[in-house]
Amino acid sequence: MSKSDRRGVTRRALFKGAGLAAASGAVLKPLEALAKEEGASGPRVQGPGAVKATLEVNGAKQTLEVEPRTTLLQALRLPLDLTGAKPVCDRGQCGACTVLLDGEPVYSCTVLAVEAEGRKVTTCEGLGTPENLHAVQQAFVDHDGAQCGFCTPGMVVACAYAVAKHGKDLTEAQAREATAGNLCRCGTYPHVLKAAVAAAKEG
Amino acid sequence: MKAFAYIRPQSAEAAAAALADNDGALIKANGIDLLDRMKERVDEPNALVGLVDVEAFDSIEVEEDGGIRIGAGATLAQLAASQVVERFLPSLAYAAGHAASPQLRTRATVGGNLGQHTRCGYYRHKSFPCLKRGGDHCPVLKPGGVQDTAAIFGNGTCASASPSSLAPVFGSLDAVLTVRRGEATREVPFAEAWAEPKAGWASDLVFDREDLIESVHIPARAEPQRLGYEEVRQKAAFDWPLTACGVRLVAEGNTVKEARVWLGSVAPTPLRSEAAEKVLVGKSFTEARARAAGEAAVTGASPLPGNTYKVQLTKVVVRRALMQAWGRS
Repeated sequence: MSKSDRRGVTRRALFKGAGLAAASGAVLKPLEALAKEEGASGPRVQGPGAVKATLEVNGAKQTLEVEPRTTLLQALRLPLDLTGAKPVCDRGQCGACTVLLDGEPVYSCTVLAVEAEGRKVTTCEGLGTPENLHAVQQAFVDHDGAQCGFCTPGMVVACAYAVAKHGKDLTEAQAREATAGNLCRCGTYPHVLKAAVAAAKEG
Repeated sequence: MKAFAYIRPQSAEAAAAALADNDGALIKANGIDLLDRMKERVDEPNALVGLVDVEAFDSIEVEEDGGIRIGAGATLAQLAASQVVERFLPSLAYAAGHAASPQLRTRATVGGNLGQHTRCGYYRHKSFPCLKRGGDHCPVLKPGGVQDTAAIFGNGTCASASPSSLAPVFGSLDAVLTVRRGEATREVPFAEAWAEPKAGWASDLVFDREDLIESVHIPARAEPQRLGYEEVRQKAAFDWPLTACGVRLVAEGNTVKEARVWLGSVAPTPLRSEAAEKVLVGKSFTEARARAAGEAAVTGASPLPGNTYKVQLTKVVVRRALMQAWGRS
Protein backbone atom coordinates (compact mmCIF):
# COMPACT_ATOMS: atom_id res chain seq x y z
CA MET A 1 0.00 0.00 0.00
CA SER A 2 1.44 3.39 -0.91
CA LYS A 3 1.89 6.11 1.67
CA SER A 4 -0.93 8.22 0.26
CA ASP A 5 -3.29 5.22 0.27
CA ARG A 6 -2.53 4.59 3.90
CA ARG A 7 -3.19 8.20 4.69
CA GLY A 8 -6.50 8.04 2.82
CA VAL A 9 -7.65 5.03 4.81
CA THR A 10 -6.73 6.67 8.06
CA ARG A 11 -8.66 9.79 7.20
CA ARG A 12 -11.75 7.85 6.12
CA ALA A 13 -11.54 5.79 9.28
CA LEU A 14 -11.35 8.95 11.33
CA PHE A 15 -14.49 10.44 9.89
CA LYS A 16 -16.34 7.15 9.96
CA GLY A 17 -15.35 6.87 13.60
CA ALA A 18 -16.44 10.44 14.18
CA GLY A 19 -19.90 9.74 12.81
CA LEU A 20 -20.37 6.68 14.96
CA ALA A 21 -19.15 8.42 18.06
CA ALA A 22 -21.45 11.37 17.50
CA ALA A 23 -24.37 9.02 16.94
CA SER A 24 -23.69 7.28 20.22
CA GLY A 25 -23.29 10.62 21.97
CA ALA A 26 -19.79 9.68 23.10
CA VAL A 27 -16.31 10.92 22.44
CA LEU A 28 -16.77 13.30 19.54
CA LYS A 29 -19.09 15.83 21.02
CA PRO A 30 -17.42 18.68 19.05
CA LEU A 31 -18.84 17.40 15.80
CA GLU A 32 -22.28 17.29 17.34
CA ALA A 33 -21.73 20.79 18.63
CA LEU A 34 -20.57 21.85 15.20
CA ALA A 35 -23.82 20.82 13.57
CA LYS A 36 -25.78 22.48 16.35
CA GLU A 37 -23.92 25.74 16.31
CA GLU A 38 -23.48 26.49 12.66
CA GLY A 39 -25.66 29.48 11.97
CA ALA A 40 -26.68 29.60 15.61
CA SER A 41 -25.47 32.02 18.26
CA GLY A 42 -22.63 29.88 19.63
CA PRO A 43 -18.97 30.41 18.83
CA ARG A 44 -17.73 30.10 15.30
CA VAL A 45 -16.55 26.57 14.51
CA GLN A 46 -14.28 25.68 11.62
CA GLY A 47 -13.67 22.16 10.34
CA PRO A 48 -12.52 19.52 11.05
CA GLY A 49 -12.79 19.29 7.24
CA ALA A 50 -11.71 21.92 4.74
CA VAL A 51 -12.99 25.45 5.26
CA LYS A 52 -12.60 28.63 3.26
CA ALA A 53 -10.09 31.13 4.56
CA THR A 54 -9.09 34.45 3.02
CA LEU A 55 -5.45 35.32 3.53
CA GLU A 56 -3.68 38.51 2.58
CA VAL A 57 -0.30 37.38 1.35
CA ASN A 58 2.24 39.84 -0.05
CA GLY A 59 -0.51 42.40 -0.55
CA ALA A 60 -2.96 40.15 -2.43
CA LYS A 61 -6.09 38.67 -0.88
CA GLN A 62 -6.57 35.02 -1.73
CA THR A 63 -9.30 32.65 -0.68
CA LEU A 64 -8.13 29.11 0.02
CA GLU A 65 -9.61 25.86 1.18
CA VAL A 66 -7.68 24.69 4.23
CA GLU A 67 -8.31 22.37 7.14
CA PRO A 68 -7.92 23.89 10.61
CA ARG A 69 -4.81 21.74 11.03
CA THR A 70 -3.17 23.27 7.94
CA THR A 71 -0.26 25.43 9.02
CA LEU A 72 0.37 28.80 7.44
CA LEU A 73 3.59 27.30 6.06
CA GLN A 74 1.67 24.50 4.33
CA ALA A 75 -0.88 26.96 2.91
CA LEU A 76 1.84 29.24 1.58
CA ARG A 77 3.70 26.42 -0.16
CA LEU A 78 1.00 24.26 -1.67
CA PRO A 79 -2.07 26.17 -2.67
CA LEU A 80 -0.19 29.45 -3.02
CA ASP A 81 3.03 28.08 -4.54
CA LEU A 82 5.16 30.45 -2.47
CA THR A 83 8.03 28.07 -1.81
CA GLY A 84 10.44 30.57 -0.27
CA ALA A 85 9.50 29.65 3.29
CA LYS A 86 11.02 26.21 3.82
CA PRO A 87 9.62 23.29 5.80
CA VAL A 88 12.71 22.04 7.64
CA CYS A 89 12.00 21.14 11.27
CA ASP A 90 8.25 21.95 11.29
CA ARG A 91 8.63 22.52 15.05
CA GLY A 92 9.61 26.18 15.40
CA GLN A 93 13.21 25.18 16.04
CA CYS A 94 15.09 26.25 12.90
CA GLY A 95 13.74 29.48 11.38
CA ALA A 96 13.65 28.42 7.74
CA CYS A 97 9.92 29.16 7.49
CA THR A 98 10.14 32.70 8.93
CA VAL A 99 7.57 35.14 7.52
CA LEU A 100 6.16 38.43 8.77
CA LEU A 101 2.68 38.40 10.30
CA ASP A 102 1.39 41.97 10.55
CA GLY A 103 5.02 43.02 10.19
CA GLU A 104 6.34 40.86 13.06
CA PRO A 105 8.56 37.81 12.47
CA VAL A 106 6.97 34.41 13.13
CA TYR A 107 7.62 30.81 12.22
CA SER A 108 4.88 29.99 9.73
CA CYS A 109 4.97 26.33 10.84
CA THR A 110 3.70 27.41 14.28
CA VAL A 111 0.71 29.40 12.94
CA LEU A 112 -2.55 27.84 11.78
CA ALA A 113 -3.60 29.13 8.37
CA VAL A 114 -7.12 29.86 9.63
CA GLU A 115 -5.62 32.09 12.33
CA ALA A 116 -3.86 34.24 9.73
CA GLU A 117 -7.20 35.43 8.35
CA GLY A 118 -7.49 39.20 8.47
CA ARG A 119 -3.76 39.62 9.03
CA LYS A 120 -1.02 40.64 6.63
CA VAL A 121 1.45 37.91 5.69
CA THR A 122 4.74 38.85 4.05
CA THR A 123 7.01 36.14 2.72
CA CYS A 124 10.50 36.38 1.25
CA GLU A 125 8.83 36.68 -2.18
CA GLY A 126 6.90 39.74 -1.01
CA LEU A 127 9.98 41.75 -0.06
CA GLY A 128 11.30 42.43 -3.57
CA THR A 129 11.13 41.17 -7.13
CA PRO A 130 13.92 39.58 -9.21
CA GLU A 131 14.15 42.85 -11.14
CA ASN A 132 13.94 45.04 -8.08
CA LEU A 133 15.45 43.24 -5.11
CA HIS A 134 14.86 44.36 -1.54
CA ALA A 135 17.99 45.95 -0.07
CA VAL A 136 18.52 42.88 2.13
CA GLN A 137 18.18 40.51 -0.83
CA GLN A 138 20.70 42.55 -2.83
CA ALA A 139 23.06 42.64 0.14
CA PHE A 140 22.86 38.84 0.47
CA VAL A 141 23.99 38.63 -3.18
CA ASP A 142 26.77 41.19 -2.68
CA HIS A 143 28.09 39.70 0.56
CA ASP A 144 27.70 35.98 -0.18
CA GLY A 145 24.95 35.67 2.41
CA ALA A 146 23.91 32.22 1.16
CA GLN A 147 25.73 28.92 0.90
CA CYS A 148 23.38 25.95 0.40
CA GLY A 149 20.51 28.44 0.51
CA PHE A 150 18.03 26.50 2.62
CA CYS A 151 17.99 28.88 5.56
CA THR A 152 18.31 31.92 3.30
CA PRO A 153 14.65 32.95 2.81
CA GLY A 154 14.11 32.84 6.59
CA MET A 155 17.35 34.74 7.20
CA VAL A 156 16.36 37.37 4.62
CA VAL A 157 12.96 37.91 6.27
CA ALA A 158 14.52 38.10 9.76
CA CYS A 159 17.13 40.60 8.50
CA ALA A 160 14.50 42.65 6.65
CA TYR A 161 12.61 42.93 9.94
CA ALA A 162 15.78 44.05 11.74
CA VAL A 163 16.46 46.68 9.06
CA ALA A 164 12.88 47.96 9.27
CA LYS A 165 13.04 48.07 13.07
CA HIS A 166 16.46 49.63 13.59
CA GLY A 167 16.94 51.57 10.34
CA LYS A 168 20.31 52.87 9.15
CA ASP A 169 21.93 52.43 12.55
CA LEU A 170 21.41 48.66 12.68
CA THR A 171 24.42 47.19 14.50
CA GLU A 172 25.90 43.77 13.99
CA ALA A 173 24.79 42.86 17.53
CA GLN A 174 21.20 43.82 16.69
CA ALA A 175 21.36 41.79 13.48
CA ARG A 176 22.71 38.86 15.49
CA GLU A 177 19.82 39.18 17.95
CA ALA A 178 17.29 39.41 15.10
CA THR A 179 18.63 36.21 13.51
CA ALA A 180 19.06 34.34 16.82
CA GLY A 181 16.09 32.19 15.81
CA ASN A 182 17.47 31.18 12.41
CA LEU A 183 19.85 28.26 12.17
CA CYS A 184 22.34 27.79 9.32
CA ARG A 185 24.06 24.43 9.00
CA CYS A 186 26.66 25.89 6.61
CA GLY A 187 27.67 28.43 9.24
CA THR A 188 27.34 31.43 6.99
CA TYR A 189 26.36 33.68 9.88
CA PRO A 190 29.19 36.25 9.49
CA HIS A 191 28.13 36.96 5.91
CA VAL A 192 24.47 37.17 6.89
CA LEU A 193 25.32 39.75 9.55
CA LYS A 194 27.49 41.75 7.13
CA ALA A 195 24.69 41.71 4.57
CA ALA A 196 22.13 42.91 7.12
CA VAL A 197 24.30 45.80 8.30
CA ALA A 198 25.14 46.76 4.69
CA ALA A 199 21.47 46.65 3.69
CA ALA A 200 20.56 48.93 6.58
CA LYS A 201 23.16 51.49 5.46
CA GLU A 202 21.78 51.35 1.90
CA GLY A 203 18.37 52.18 3.36
CA MET B 1 -1.52 16.45 13.25
CA LYS B 2 -4.83 14.66 13.39
CA ALA B 3 -7.80 16.60 12.06
CA PHE B 4 -9.61 18.77 14.60
CA ALA B 5 -12.50 21.19 14.72
CA TYR B 6 -11.43 24.74 15.51
CA ILE B 7 -13.78 26.56 17.86
CA ARG B 8 -13.36 30.34 18.00
CA PRO B 9 -15.14 31.94 20.97
CA GLN B 10 -14.99 35.71 21.35
CA SER B 11 -14.82 35.91 25.13
CA ALA B 12 -13.17 34.04 27.98
CA GLU B 13 -16.64 33.05 29.21
CA ALA B 14 -17.54 31.54 25.84
CA ALA B 15 -14.17 29.78 25.71
CA ALA B 16 -14.78 28.19 29.11
CA ALA B 17 -18.25 27.12 27.98
CA ALA B 18 -16.83 25.60 24.79
CA LEU B 19 -14.30 23.62 26.83
CA ALA B 20 -17.06 22.35 29.10
CA ASP B 21 -19.27 21.43 26.14
CA ASN B 22 -16.62 19.53 24.22
CA ASP B 23 -15.02 16.63 26.07
CA GLY B 24 -12.04 16.21 23.79
CA ALA B 25 -11.26 19.89 23.26
CA LEU B 26 -8.07 21.55 24.43
CA ILE B 27 -7.49 25.26 24.93
CA LYS B 28 -5.14 26.93 22.47
CA ALA B 29 -3.56 30.37 22.73
CA ASN B 30 -0.94 30.66 20.01
CA GLY B 31 -0.13 26.98 20.31
CA ILE B 32 3.67 27.11 20.20
CA ASP B 33 3.90 24.09 22.50
CA LEU B 34 0.51 22.51 21.82
CA LEU B 35 0.95 22.26 18.04
CA ASP B 36 4.38 20.73 18.67
CA ARG B 37 2.79 18.04 20.82
CA MET B 38 0.01 17.49 18.30
CA LYS B 39 2.52 17.08 15.47
CA GLU B 40 4.27 14.43 17.58
CA ARG B 41 0.83 12.93 18.35
CA VAL B 42 1.55 13.17 22.05
CA ASP B 43 -1.75 15.06 22.12
CA GLU B 44 -4.57 14.24 19.72
CA PRO B 45 -7.52 16.50 20.58
CA ASN B 46 -10.57 16.31 18.34
CA ALA B 47 -11.19 20.02 18.81
CA LEU B 48 -9.27 23.11 19.83
CA VAL B 49 -10.80 26.11 21.55
CA GLY B 50 -8.73 28.94 20.09
CA LEU B 51 -8.33 32.23 21.94
CA VAL B 52 -7.35 34.12 18.79
CA ASP B 53 -10.63 36.08 18.69
CA VAL B 54 -10.86 36.80 22.42
CA GLU B 55 -10.45 40.53 22.95
CA ALA B 56 -8.38 42.21 25.66
CA PHE B 57 -6.78 38.91 26.53
CA ASP B 58 -3.35 40.43 26.01
CA SER B 59 -3.57 43.63 28.03
CA ILE B 60 -0.91 44.75 30.50
CA GLU B 61 -2.45 47.15 33.02
CA VAL B 62 -1.40 49.03 36.12
CA GLU B 63 -4.30 48.91 38.54
CA GLU B 64 -5.40 51.74 40.81
CA ASP B 65 -3.55 50.37 43.83
CA GLY B 66 -0.36 49.89 41.80
CA GLY B 67 -0.79 46.17 41.18
CA ILE B 68 -0.09 44.97 37.67
CA ARG B 69 -2.37 42.63 35.75
CA ILE B 70 -0.98 40.80 32.75
CA GLY B 71 -3.42 39.11 30.39
CA ALA B 72 -2.54 35.46 29.79
CA GLY B 73 -2.62 36.18 26.06
CA ALA B 74 0.14 38.81 26.26
CA THR B 75 3.15 37.66 24.27
CA LEU B 76 6.72 37.49 25.51
CA ALA B 77 7.59 40.15 22.91
CA GLN B 78 4.89 42.39 24.41
CA LEU B 79 6.28 41.89 27.93
CA ALA B 80 9.80 42.64 26.75
CA ALA B 81 8.67 45.83 24.98
CA SER B 82 6.25 47.05 27.67
CA GLN B 83 7.34 50.22 29.48
CA VAL B 84 5.31 49.19 32.50
CA VAL B 85 7.08 45.84 32.72
CA GLU B 86 10.49 47.37 32.03
CA ARG B 87 10.01 49.98 34.75
CA PHE B 88 8.31 48.00 37.50
CA LEU B 89 9.23 44.38 36.73
CA PRO B 90 12.67 44.45 35.09
CA SER B 91 13.35 40.80 35.95
CA LEU B 92 10.23 39.79 34.03
CA ALA B 93 11.19 41.98 31.06
CA TYR B 94 14.60 40.32 30.97
CA ALA B 95 13.27 36.75 31.26
CA ALA B 96 10.65 37.36 28.57
CA GLY B 97 13.04 39.20 26.27
CA HIS B 98 15.67 36.46 26.35
CA ALA B 99 13.46 33.38 26.13
CA ALA B 100 13.42 31.25 23.00
CA SER B 101 13.93 33.30 19.81
CA PRO B 102 12.48 36.53 18.37
CA GLN B 103 10.03 34.61 16.17
CA LEU B 104 8.79 32.55 19.12
CA ARG B 105 8.52 35.58 21.40
CA THR B 106 6.24 37.21 18.81
CA ARG B 107 3.76 34.37 19.38
CA ALA B 108 4.49 32.70 22.73
CA THR B 109 2.05 33.87 25.41
CA VAL B 110 2.30 34.21 29.19
CA GLY B 111 -0.36 31.54 29.71
CA GLY B 112 1.30 29.24 27.22
CA ASN B 113 4.72 29.78 28.75
CA LEU B 114 3.40 28.72 32.17
CA GLY B 115 1.33 25.89 30.70
CA GLN B 116 3.93 24.45 28.33
CA HIS B 117 4.70 20.81 29.00
CA THR B 118 8.13 19.51 29.94
CA ARG B 119 10.84 19.44 27.28
CA CYS B 120 11.87 15.97 28.45
CA GLY B 121 12.68 14.02 25.28
CA TYR B 122 11.05 10.87 26.63
CA TYR B 123 7.78 12.68 27.32
CA ARG B 124 7.78 14.05 23.79
CA HIS B 125 8.40 10.76 22.01
CA LYS B 126 5.66 8.18 22.12
CA SER B 127 8.09 5.30 21.50
CA PHE B 128 9.29 5.68 25.09
CA PRO B 129 7.38 4.99 28.27
CA CYS B 130 6.81 8.07 30.43
CA LEU B 131 5.20 8.49 33.81
CA LYS B 132 3.54 11.75 32.77
CA ARG B 133 1.95 9.98 29.81
CA GLY B 134 0.62 7.24 32.08
CA GLY B 135 3.56 4.84 31.88
CA ASP B 136 4.75 2.88 34.90
CA HIS B 137 8.18 4.49 35.18
CA CYS B 138 10.42 7.38 34.13
CA PRO B 139 13.15 6.28 31.71
CA VAL B 140 15.35 9.23 32.74
CA LEU B 141 15.92 7.46 36.06
CA LYS B 142 16.96 4.13 34.48
CA PRO B 143 20.62 3.32 33.84
CA GLY B 144 21.53 4.92 30.52
CA GLY B 145 18.71 7.46 30.76
CA VAL B 146 19.50 10.86 29.27
CA GLN B 147 19.79 13.03 32.38
CA ASP B 148 21.72 16.16 31.47
CA THR B 149 18.77 18.57 31.49
CA ALA B 150 16.71 16.65 34.06
CA ALA B 151 15.60 17.75 37.53
CA ILE B 152 17.97 17.81 40.51
CA PHE B 153 15.18 18.20 43.08
CA GLY B 154 12.01 16.16 43.56
CA ASN B 155 13.07 13.71 40.89
CA GLY B 156 12.23 10.42 42.64
CA THR B 157 9.43 9.29 40.33
CA CYS B 158 9.74 11.67 37.35
CA ALA B 159 12.83 13.72 36.59
CA SER B 160 11.28 16.22 34.20
CA ALA B 161 12.48 19.80 34.61
CA SER B 162 10.05 22.70 34.61
CA PRO B 163 10.68 24.52 31.31
CA SER B 164 9.19 27.97 31.96
CA SER B 165 11.63 30.85 32.38
CA LEU B 166 8.85 33.20 33.46
CA ALA B 167 7.83 30.88 36.30
CA PRO B 168 10.68 31.62 38.75
CA VAL B 169 10.11 35.35 38.13
CA PHE B 170 6.37 35.17 38.78
CA GLY B 171 7.14 33.07 41.85
CA SER B 172 9.49 35.73 43.19
CA LEU B 173 6.81 38.37 42.60
CA ASP B 174 4.19 36.40 44.62
CA ALA B 175 2.00 36.39 41.52
CA VAL B 176 -1.62 35.28 41.68
CA LEU B 177 -3.26 33.56 38.73
CA THR B 178 -6.86 34.24 37.79
CA VAL B 179 -8.27 30.99 36.52
CA ARG B 180 -11.64 30.54 34.89
CA ARG B 181 -13.74 27.43 34.92
CA GLY B 182 -17.21 27.75 33.45
CA GLU B 183 -18.79 30.96 34.66
CA ALA B 184 -16.64 31.31 37.77
CA THR B 185 -13.12 32.58 38.23
CA ARG B 186 -10.83 31.90 41.15
CA GLU B 187 -7.57 33.37 42.38
CA VAL B 188 -4.74 30.86 42.70
CA PRO B 189 -1.52 31.86 44.50
CA PHE B 190 1.43 30.99 42.30
CA ALA B 191 2.85 28.44 44.74
CA GLU B 192 -0.42 26.50 44.66
CA ALA B 193 -0.61 26.31 40.86
CA TRP B 194 1.89 23.47 40.43
CA ALA B 195 1.37 19.72 40.55
CA GLU B 196 3.91 17.15 41.72
CA PRO B 197 4.48 14.52 39.03
CA LYS B 198 1.98 11.69 39.02
CA ALA B 199 1.17 8.96 36.53
CA GLY B 200 -0.92 10.21 33.63
CA TRP B 201 -0.82 13.91 34.63
CA ALA B 202 0.99 15.50 31.69
CA SER B 203 0.77 19.13 32.77
CA ASP B 204 3.10 20.72 35.30
CA LEU B 205 0.11 22.74 36.56
CA VAL B 206 -2.72 21.58 38.82
CA PHE B 207 -5.27 22.95 36.37
CA ASP B 208 -7.18 20.52 34.23
CA ARG B 209 -8.58 20.61 30.71
CA GLU B 210 -11.46 22.93 31.56
CA ASP B 211 -9.39 25.51 33.42
CA LEU B 212 -8.39 28.65 31.58
CA ILE B 213 -5.67 30.95 32.91
CA GLU B 214 -7.04 34.45 32.25
CA SER B 215 -4.42 36.68 33.78
CA VAL B 216 -1.46 36.94 36.12
CA HIS B 217 -1.66 39.52 38.90
CA ILE B 218 1.40 41.08 40.51
CA PRO B 219 0.33 42.58 43.85
CA ALA B 220 1.13 46.20 44.66
CA ARG B 221 3.95 46.85 47.12
CA ALA B 222 4.43 49.87 49.33
CA GLU B 223 8.22 49.53 49.49
CA PRO B 224 10.72 49.58 46.64
CA GLN B 225 11.42 46.11 45.29
CA ARG B 226 14.75 44.92 43.99
CA LEU B 227 14.23 42.27 41.34
CA GLY B 228 16.63 39.91 39.63
CA TYR B 229 16.57 37.02 37.18
CA GLU B 230 19.43 34.90 35.94
CA GLU B 231 19.58 31.72 33.93
CA VAL B 232 22.12 29.44 32.29
CA ARG B 233 21.43 27.74 28.98
CA GLN B 234 23.37 25.45 26.68
CA LYS B 235 22.85 27.95 23.85
CA ALA B 236 22.96 31.74 24.12
CA ALA B 237 19.60 31.94 22.33
CA PHE B 238 16.80 29.66 21.10
CA ASP B 239 16.92 27.39 24.13
CA TRP B 240 15.36 26.64 27.50
CA PRO B 241 17.21 27.28 30.77
CA LEU B 242 19.24 24.52 32.41
CA THR B 243 18.75 26.35 35.66
CA ALA B 244 17.20 29.72 36.46
CA CYS B 245 16.53 31.92 39.46
CA GLY B 246 14.11 34.78 40.08
CA VAL B 247 14.54 36.90 43.21
CA ARG B 248 12.86 39.79 44.96
CA LEU B 249 14.48 41.71 47.79
CA VAL B 250 13.27 44.49 50.04
CA ALA B 251 16.06 46.42 51.71
CA GLU B 252 16.29 48.56 54.82
CA GLY B 253 19.62 50.30 54.50
CA ASN B 254 22.11 47.52 53.98
CA THR B 255 19.87 44.91 55.56
CA VAL B 256 17.62 42.52 53.67
CA LYS B 257 14.16 42.93 55.14
CA GLU B 258 12.35 40.55 52.84
CA ALA B 259 13.55 37.97 50.30
CA ARG B 260 11.86 35.73 47.82
CA VAL B 261 13.98 33.19 45.91
CA TRP B 262 12.48 30.89 43.26
CA LEU B 263 14.33 28.36 41.14
CA GLY B 264 13.34 27.26 37.65
CA SER B 265 14.29 24.26 35.51
CA VAL B 266 15.71 22.26 38.44
CA ALA B 267 12.60 20.36 39.56
CA PRO B 268 9.41 19.06 37.93
CA THR B 269 7.81 22.35 39.03
CA PRO B 270 9.14 25.84 39.81
CA LEU B 271 10.62 25.69 43.29
CA ARG B 272 10.72 28.24 46.09
CA SER B 273 13.92 28.14 48.13
CA GLU B 274 13.04 29.13 51.67
CA ALA B 275 16.50 27.92 52.71
CA ALA B 276 18.08 30.61 50.55
CA GLU B 277 15.63 33.24 51.82
CA LYS B 278 16.49 32.40 55.45
CA VAL B 279 20.18 33.04 54.80
CA LEU B 280 19.33 36.54 53.57
CA VAL B 281 16.55 37.92 55.74
CA GLY B 282 17.65 40.14 58.61
CA LYS B 283 21.27 40.14 57.48
CA SER B 284 23.35 42.75 55.73
CA PHE B 285 23.74 42.08 52.04
CA THR B 286 27.21 41.19 50.77
CA GLU B 287 28.49 39.08 47.92
CA ALA B 288 29.49 36.46 50.49
CA ARG B 289 25.90 36.47 51.74
CA ALA B 290 24.62 35.98 48.19
CA ARG B 291 27.07 33.12 47.75
CA ALA B 292 25.87 31.53 50.99
CA ALA B 293 22.28 31.82 49.75
CA GLY B 294 23.33 29.96 46.61
CA GLU B 295 24.84 27.20 48.75
CA ALA B 296 21.67 27.03 50.84
CA ALA B 297 19.50 26.87 47.73
CA VAL B 298 20.95 23.50 46.73
CA THR B 299 20.69 21.83 50.13
CA GLY B 300 18.59 18.73 49.70
CA ALA B 301 19.35 18.46 45.98
CA SER B 302 19.31 14.91 44.65
CA PRO B 303 21.18 15.16 41.36
CA LEU B 304 21.34 12.17 39.03
CA PRO B 305 24.66 10.75 37.84
CA GLY B 306 24.20 12.65 34.57
CA ASN B 307 23.39 16.09 35.93
CA THR B 308 25.45 16.78 39.05
CA TYR B 309 26.81 19.82 37.20
CA LYS B 310 23.41 21.52 37.55
CA VAL B 311 23.98 21.81 41.32
CA GLN B 312 26.97 24.10 40.81
CA LEU B 313 25.17 26.07 38.07
CA THR B 314 22.24 26.60 40.40
CA LYS B 315 24.45 28.01 43.16
CA VAL B 316 25.85 30.42 40.60
CA VAL B 317 22.52 31.63 39.16
CA VAL B 318 21.18 32.26 42.67
CA ARG B 319 24.21 34.38 43.54
CA ARG B 320 24.07 36.24 40.22
CA ALA B 321 20.34 36.92 40.48
CA LEU B 322 20.81 38.28 44.00
CA MET B 323 23.74 40.48 42.96
CA GLN B 324 21.72 41.76 40.03
CA ALA B 325 18.72 42.55 42.23
CA TRP B 326 20.82 44.26 44.90
CA GLY B 327 22.51 46.39 42.25
CA ARG B 328 19.12 47.77 41.25
CA SER B 329 17.81 50.36 43.67
